Amino acid sequence: MIVECDISELNRLIGRELTLERLEDVLFLLKAEIDRVQDDTLDIEINPDRQDMLSVEGIARAVRAFLRIQPGLIDYPVTTSDRKVIVRRGLSKIRPYIACSAVLGVGTSDELIKQYMRLQEALTTTHGRNRRKASIGLYVLDDIEFPVVYRPARPESIRFVPLGHDRVMDGTTILREHDKGIEFGHIIERHSKWPVLMDSQGAVLSLPPIINSNDLGRITPETRNIFVEVTGTHMPTVDQTLNIMTTALAERGGRIESVTTVHPDGTEYVRPDLTPQVRHLSTEEACALTGLELTDAEVAECFRRMGHGASVAASGQVEVRVPAYRMDIMHTVDLIEDMAMGYGFDRITPTMPSTMTAGRPRPVTRLKNKVRDLMVGLGYQEVLSYIMCSPEMMNDKMGRQAPLIETGNPKSREYSVLRNAILPVLIDFAAQNQHAEYPQKVYEVGDVVYPDKDAETRSRQVPSVAALTVANRVNVTGLITELGFVMRNLGLEGRFTLKAVTSPSFVHGRCAAVYVDGTEMGIVGEVAPEVLEAFGLARPAMGFELELPPDGRW
Amino acid sequence: MSSDSLLKDISGGERDVLLYLLDHEGLVPAGRIAEDSGAGVERVVSVLNSLSQKGIVELETIERKEYVLSKEGEEYCEKGLPEMRLLETLHRLGGRAPMDEVVGAAGLTGQARGIAIGWAKRNGWVAVGREEGKAMLFALTDSADSEVAVVLRAVRDGEAVDDCLDGALQQAIERGLVLVRTQKEFVARLKDDMRGWVRELGHEESGVIVDLTPELLMSGRWRGRTFKRYNMEIQPAFASYGKKHPYAEFNDWLREILIGLGFTEWYGPYVETEFWNNDSLFVPQDHVAREVQNQFRVARPYDHGLIPDREYYQAVKAVHEHGGDTGSTGWQSTYSKEVATRLCLRSHTTPVSMRYLYEHRTSPQKMFIIDRNFRAESLSASHAQEFNQCEGIIMDRGLTLRDLLGYLQEICRRVGIKKTKAKPGQFPFTEPSVEVFAKHETLGWIEVAPGGIFRPEVTRPLGITDTVLAWGIGSGRLYMAAMDISDIRELYTRDLNWLRRSYFVR
Repeated sequence: MIVECDISELNRLIGRELTLERLEDVLFLLKAEIDRVQDDTLDIEINPDRQDMLSVEGIARAVRAFLRIQPGLIDYPVTTSDRKVIVRRGLSKIRPYIACSAVLGVGTSDELIKQYMRLQEALTTTHGRNRRKASIGLYVLDDIEFPVVYRPARPESIRFVPLGHDRVMDGTTILREHDKGIEFGHIIERHSKWPVLMDSQGAVLSLPPIINSNDLGRITPETRNIFVEVTGTHMPTVDQTLNIMTTALAERGGRIESVTTVHPDGTEYVRPDLTPQVRHLSTEEACALTGLELTDAEVAECFRRMGHGASVAASGQVEVRVPAYRMDIMHTVDLIEDMAMGYGFDRITPTMPSTMTAGRPRPVTRLKNKVRDLMVGLGYQEVLSYIMCSPEMMNDKMGRQAPLIETGNPKSREYSVLRNAILPVLIDFAAQNQHAEYPQKVYEVGDVVYPDKDAETRSRQVPSVAALTVANRVNVTGLITELGFVMRNLGLEGRFTLKAVTSPSFVHGRCAAVYVDGTEMGIVGEVAPEVLEAFGLARPAMGFELELPPDGRW
Repeated sequence: MSSDSLLKDISGGERDVLLYLLDHEGLVPAGRIAEDSGAGVERVVSVLNSLSQKGIVELETIERKEYVLSKEGEEYCEKGLPEMRLLETLHRLGGRAPMDEVVGAAGLTGQARGIAIGWAKRNGWVAVGREEGKAMLFALTDSADSEVAVVLRAVRDGEAVDDCLDGALQQAIERGLVLVRTQKEFVARLKDDMRGWVRELGHEESGVIVDLTPELLMSGRWRGRTFKRYNMEIQPAFASYGKKHPYAEFNDWLREILIGLGFTEWYGPYVETEFWNNDSLFVPQDHVAREVQNQFRVARPYDHGLIPDREYYQAVKAVHEHGGDTGSTGWQSTYSKEVATRLCLRSHTTPVSMRYLYEHRTSPQKMFIIDRNFRAESLSASHAQEFNQCEGIIMDRGLTLRDLLGYLQEICRRVGIKKTKAKPGQFPFTEPSVEVFAKHETLGWIEVAPGGIFRPEVTRPLGITDTVLAWGIGSGRLYMAAMDISDIRELYTRDLNWLRRSYFVR
């Protein structure tokens, strides 16, 4: 995810004038990268685990701690208010969770509003899974009559002027006509009732997760007090999203006040809950995983550089208070990574462990390499092709009907199925190289895939070799001699036989099946003129394809 | 210059000329050599020049007179000389007859009349007199031979004119019947002191070996003979023979390096269940990487696979839902078997690492794979729906993040990357995670080696408690840099001419 920052603003929020070079180094160590520099604007790439850094203020906060300008846990006091959101029955299968906060005295300007919108967008796209899991709404706090009601409603009964419009629309119309309705409508469309947020006077705040009302949901540079609302399908995500959004506004000078959510069963949740998550870390465990040798106090210091509260709880134990806007600390290992980052990846010296193992290739790799050597000995040029191809190339043009594994979401028909043979790919290759000097002899060793109902992945993947000769004249007897050379040098003398067969892919009377130990393993012959015509190849061709044993042993 | 070094310098053409001169003593005109050997005169002259410079032959220029018939000479040669025709006609008329009658009967008109009578008189063949006021001719001889006629015939036939006919030749020249041209000609002769040497050359020439045959070898007749020389300094012609694909050779090279570092090669299927591709790697089931715009789904003939191990499945499910026994919070959402069994084309090679760990749960282990992966991308210069990955794992008790950095650095070093730096990274299945950047001459710092330590949520469901280091190397990127390729489509090029001319050397 890219965050666009103004350098001077970022430096102002950091509280120090950092050169671009220094900034780049610091961000690099904080897992972020400067993607592009254009005039005074930086595009900073943020990894998806650091949702709290998706805004300029979030990045500045992380840099301040790292540079020890403001290390440790930042306290965002929350003043209790009696504002309530009443959740009505009937939303549990639609969009059950809501969490809200109020932020007063926020700095606003056209530029700042743009940034809030960007953070909102970034959060709901990634963490909110394109608004499905969580979406955010910002409103003018002073225009809302509390308590706010969150309830399901019939689409046609939901009537308001959506943001950026000047006429009243009902829910159905919004989904059909409004940009956001078209983009995100699929999230609620299948339900008979849709979630709606209204104030006590019946004024609509929004149709989550689609669009805000133009009346209550339009932040202007005059707006000082903001009502933040997050709805969604996953409670932890909803809470985390609210925490990130709320603390970002607080970084712009806002004072946070609570909003209580009252659920139909009577349970109440006071939000935002910015209580840090308290975790205890064993210094020994942290050192064992990282290979660093640190004292308890040093470990605690590493954490403070990463914006955590940290203190030595007991000998060998560090208590870490994880800020509520961090949603990526799921396990001790996540803390340990933060510790290593706080220590500085640039200071960690690599070591080479003495883990002793004997390496070896797969047996089938050795067999494939053996076959490749033999083919080169026969004068063939190796080719590497895509595994994905078209059903036309595999079957139609070849005059065959071999079962194919098909993808459900191909980007093009040309690459929509997995190849079940290599020979058609080589014929196609030859058809694309008719300007190159003849004779052309090409081969490929690779895998082919067939459907297999009984297999774990319903497929069977088999190594295979195919060879193709294209010339002004071809002689299939010569090709059989070459095939014999390959078979004999694979140790198959006396174990392989050729049996004349007919196949639409090959000239009648010039095709044989290849058997090894009585099992059909391949085919050899002169390519049928119908096939040449279908591929647009204007010269005669002959070839063979031979499956290899997947375990590398005949 | 010694004879031996001289011998080395004698070309085939020079040898032929020398042998000709050996057989033809005296000054031999270049024209004759050319005529007899079938070579062009200019070529022979150039050879003679070269031999003269080498001091083997004497080359001189002489002037030679060449005679040709004039138009008049040609006419007389065909019809006879006018004085001969006059005399013959006079005989037919009885030896005496009026002049006008003889001239008319002989068909001599105009100038020819005077020429015929004048020369017949000078030769003493006729006499002129007057009878009854008419000019008369009297034959003085019965028959007449003209040497001039003989000369004309000889000149016409290109024959040398006999010295005794010199008077007739001079007369023919004076009468304008024969024209004289002076021709410059090169003539050459072997120097006397070189004759022996050339004779030896001749002996060798007759025994030069073009093809060494089994018969020659068996009989031993090759002994003491020389072999026909070839130009060994020509620019070799471009030709295509069988060879391997440069990208395949690059991957062969990587494989060698990794086996050398003690890694065992492993494998896994292209068609995977999401269970292996994502779930086993603790990728949340609603992760964007699984969505249709990122990952290929398999739709036909089957769209869901099987779960072969219930116990492992349950452990993975528990880890996703609430962290299981790992101490993790998990994803705190319900885990879907429908999603787990959904078939896809594997989007990375890491499920292969999981399949390997599934079968090898005790330390120490080192495994690698270089193979194909699939992403739902449209084919363009920068994106391909298929790409190779090279990655592996190291499992042992007590391995650390520093060890991971050590391995990444070592692997980079072995593929020729000297300068690296590490930054913290993020992958769903590793923590801590790193990204190693390599300093590239023109591209600056580029990410080449991602890595990390497998999360407990990934290893614990298999009962593994030892550290598993996972690393990867951007092999496609390295290959493109090595081959100076900027278009990703050229990895699997369709251009035979490019393949015929390309090679990977390391």
